[in-house]
Amino acid sequence: MKALVLLAAYVPLSAQWIHYPTPGIPRTADGKPNLSAPAPKTADGKPDLSGVWSVNGVKYFMNLTADGVEAPLLPNAAALYKQRLAQLQKGHPSERCVGHGVTDFATLPAPRRFIQTPQMIAVLYESYNHYRQIFLDGRSLPKLTQPAYMGYSVGHWEGDTLVVDTTGFDDRGWLDMNGHPQTETTHVTERYRRPDFGHMDLQLIIEDPNAYSKPWGVNLVLNYFADEDMIENLCENERDYSHLVVKGKEESK
Amino acid sequence: MKALVLLAALVPVSAQWLQYPTPGIPRTPDGKPNLSAPAPKTADGKPDLSGIWNAPEDKYFRDLTTGGPPAPMLPWAEKLFKERKENLEKGHPSERCLGHGVTDYDTLGTLRRIVQTPQMIAFLYEGYNHYRQIFMDGRPLPETTQPSYMGYSIGRWEGDTLVVETNGLNDEGWLDMDGHPQTESTHITERFRRRDFGHMDLQLIIDDPKAYTKTWSANVPLVYAPDEELIEAICENEKDLPHMVGK
Repeated sequence: MKALVLLAAYVPLSAQWIHYPTPGIPRTADGKPNLSAPAPKTADGKPDLSGVWSVNGVKYFMNLTADGVEAPLLPNAAALYKQRLAQLQKGHPSERCVGHGVTDFATLPAPRRFIQTPQMIAVLYESYNHYRQIFLDGRSLPKLTQPAYMGYSVGHWEGDTLVVDTTGFDDRGWLDMNGHPQTETTHVTERYRRPDFGHMDLQLIIEDPNAYSKPWGVNLVLNYFADEDMIENLCENERDYSHLVVKGKEESK
Repeated sequence: MKALVLLAALVPVSAQWLQYPTPGIPRTPDGKPNLSAPAPKTADGKPDLSGIWNAPEDKYFRDLTTGGPPAPMLPWAEKLFKERKENLEKGHPSERCLGHGVTDYDTLGTLRRIVQTPQMIAFLYEGYNHYRQIFMDGRPLPETTQPSYMGYSIGRWEGDTLVVETNGLNDEGWLDMDGHPQTESTHITERFRRRDFGHMDLQLIIDDPKAYTKTWSANVPLVYAPDEELIEAICENEKDLPHMVGK
């Protein structure tokens, strides 16, 4: 029996995205979104990453090492990872509506909107109706005082690439559904580059001397999600939790 | 015995806001934020509502009619309101981590950030780590297909006032903690006017022919929260629920 784990991807069967033609996007002669048009720029000449984006498939959401490169786990982290994997992902924070962190929201197929201003980028996730802030005003990463599932993020531009550094993580978060550990010393670097209107390359780099012997990561592609709006998708307490099973036996909670 | 109801206002005892001097805000010679400086404008000449705001008085969060006449409820709505109030607010969606809707997020005494662009204004609420989108691109309100706690919101400028219209609300949300009913036909109008750098007037107008005999409203002052940041305040399942008591 398999655990029901895709809590975050869960959308009520009756739900559908709200169809509305996205205003102001490039279109081909037949009116379809022109996803290979040039990437837009902001008034101050930076790449404009605004819009609704999604990811095809759940493979990296489930497992950041899905392409076969193993994460360089230190022994303690390897033991924890093995235990989580054996438990069919039971114990993930999403069971308790706590949602996701940087890496698993980044790899989640459900749409997310980037809102970009010169001072900050806000990312609005359809799942859990949660958001994340990325400060672009030049501040440095603060000293960790209150670890958080989403951490604390600052970004800067390197040419056409937005580089986002995040620290301040809570060690209760998981990097992916399989359970690659995150700790209070995890540092995630995201490198976003929008090569054309419809696509954004994302390189995720994970560094954590307390869990991994060296930096590791994954490259994925975000796709522009045209002509649809996100819907409200709140996590209602433990409605999913009761459906989770652990390996080999029914869990009665 | 009193119900523990301020779930959304609950922040761990150990938590404190990150003190970071807000860049680019007007300051007096002694370095303090100048909250009576003029309200800023965007590049396209609109009032700029960006920044972190708070509703300092939680009395409207508790009861939107505070200081005014009772809401003009239809009999069924009055009955439901009375039940909720007598039951010490037990049954509020926040018990189940569902958070709040437009009116109770507007009046909540925790921080929220307004992110403003010409196409969209987003509200990022510290409470529940939830957000709300307001479309500024001229689209009409859609026909409601999927009622939601936050509804569907569009905004426009009337002079210096941001006027936001919301419909598509569900009938499971409550307008305030006392339990003024919200239904699928509730239409909310918010009028935001930033008087000066540090102060914003918000008028909330409730229109719902299925629950109220006429439109009614509340005036809620918002204040700028300088040199603060939102902290993560995620609602974790039913940790609060066992502490709720009914009548």
